[in-house]
Amino acid sequence: MLSQPIVQLKQVTKRIGGKTIIDNLSLELPQGEVFGFLGPNGSGKTTTIRMMVGLMRMSEGDIVIGGSSIRTDYEKAIRHVGAIVENPEMYKYLTGYQNLLHYARMVPGISRNRIDEVIRLAGLDKRIEDKVKTYSLGMRQRLGVAQALLHKPSLLILDEPTNGLDPAGIRELRDYLRRLAAEEGTTVFVSSHLLSEMELMCDQAAIIQAGRLIDVRRLRGGEEADAAGIRMPVQMLFEVDRPDEAAALIRDAIRTADGVPAQVQVRSEAGAILLDARRADVAEINALLVRGGILVYGIRSAGKTLEEQFLEVTGGESVV
Amino acid sequence: MFDFAALVANENMKIYRRPRAWIMLGLLALLAAAVALIASASSSSPLEMWSMTSVMLMLLVPLANIFSVIIAADSVAGEFTGGTIKLLLIRPWTRSKVLLSKYVSVLIFVMFTLLVVYLSVLLINSAVFGYERGVSAEKAFGVLDPSLSAWSYYHQYFLLELISAAVGVTLAFMISAVFRSSALSIGLSLFLLLMGATLSQLLRLVDKPWVDYVLFQHLNLTRYIGSGGASGELHSGSPMTIGFSLAVLAGYYLVFMALSWFVFTKRDVAA
Repeated sequence: MLSQPIVQLKQVTKRIGGKTIIDNLSLELPQGEVFGFLGPNGSGKTTTIRMMVGLMRMSEGDIVIGGSSIRTDYEKAIRHVGAIVENPEMYKYLTGYQNLLHYARMVPGISRNRIDEVIRLAGLDKRIEDKVKTYSLGMRQRLGVAQALLHKPSLLILDEPTNGLDPAGIRELRDYLRRLAAEEGTTVFVSSHLLSEMELMCDQAAIIQAGRLIDVRRLRGGEEADAAGIRMPVQMLFEVDRPDEAAALIRDAIRTADGVPAQVQVRSEAGAILLDARRADVAEINALLVRGGILVYGIRSAGKTLEEQFLEVTGGESVV
Repeated sequence: MFDFAALVANENMKIYRRPRAWIMLGLLALLAAAVALIASASSSSPLEMWSMTSVMLMLLVPLANIFSVIIAADSVAGEFTGGTIKLLLIRPWTRSKVLLSKYVSVLIFVMFTLLVVYLSVLLINSAVFGYERGVSAEKAFGVLDPSLSAWSYYHQYFLLELISAAVGVTLAFMISAVFRSSALSIGLSLFLLLMGATLSQLLRLVDKPWVDYVLFQHLNLTRYIGSGGASGELHSGSPMTIGFSLAVLAGYYLVFMALSWFVFTKRDVAA
């Protein structure tokens, strides 16, 4: 993306009592993308988010949002931000509407219409006049998203936003966030431990562990990745009744330009074979197997999931 | 400035949209009515309005102070306990302004409780016992100055109570900002408020000059009304005057404010 990054974390370090919680973290969030923030428990996700919204001070470094430093120009920088930090804790003794009114009053220029609009977006129309203490966790989460969107922020920070949402709610939120990023150019920064969810939601994901940024991966979007996704061979898994025979059949029939037989892994116990294949080759291989009298029960991509990648880069360690 | 008024409106909403504020205020009025009616029904000799007022103030003003302190102690700490402080602070307002809006709403509540006491005592007593004109404070409230009228005493009383209540809630507000736990700060503030009088009695037995500077020695300002300006004695031998008490209170007030502000604006929010 050519646009200026909306958020820059510059060598952010946080020490509490001599212990380094966040260590020299630098990150840039491009405008209009959904950016995932992954890390095991205790890796410093929430601490980073707290520093981004000014709830915690940095020991070193700076965070610039929309061109203003959160350190020296807080009131200006935070105007760009809508956020939920950890649980969406609202005033339980107030109604949903009063809660939204409360936050609306704190930013100039939010009309009653905008409040109604946000309520409709969050799907809270029917319960908005009820006290928040009667809300379920999912409804509180929706109200939390509603308050974060009130002032049309250019950066939306959501800490575990799918917590407590039902599958329909998660899907709705995911679609909404993607639309927000695509249509309004809002940058969405989501932390989550639901890796499969992040995979569906995010354009890029940063992985942190023990307060250090260890990887930033593109999960979708971006021209190079798109093109590569079509042309590059992907590891495919064929579920068959006789894996060994199937493998032999493929090795005989398919050779590369140099005459080297195709690489096929056999997974007898799973009743499957694994091989790299382009999209167009898959149908051909299937036809070959069927002609050879092999029963094919299923074909699917065996590309590494984000979960596997995540465990790979974090070494499977949980709390450090 | 208009924007800041919106912050105060928010804080007021959080106080008055809860039933407890109205229960407190209603209780003050109800208690005034109950005392007046029970006294008038059960007393054999006819009661006079201003002497009943004196009795009622002794009962209602401390209660009003307790209510104010509860609201003040919960003001900041309640946001931490409920976790709502996070969403409150991530708005385009500095922490100082958020804290100031809370403080202003607490002071408004203090004035409100005292106003409820002022009006209910005056109106209910006048209605039940009949308003008495031209009664001296000497007769009604037992002050030394014979020229002071009860009406004038009544107003001075509320003015001075407002000052000491403001110092009291500022202490509670500070405890609230420092401890960040509703239960702890309400408990501690009430303990200090209730023990203050006892503690000040106890401290008079201590023969040290610093005793004159202890906060609780100065919270009872109303004893100066009509006393010729001095009440009790300082350890240096000179009389304790209202000026001295106000100066000590002002000193504490500044310390409480400075501490609240420092702690609230500097500390990380990890609630």
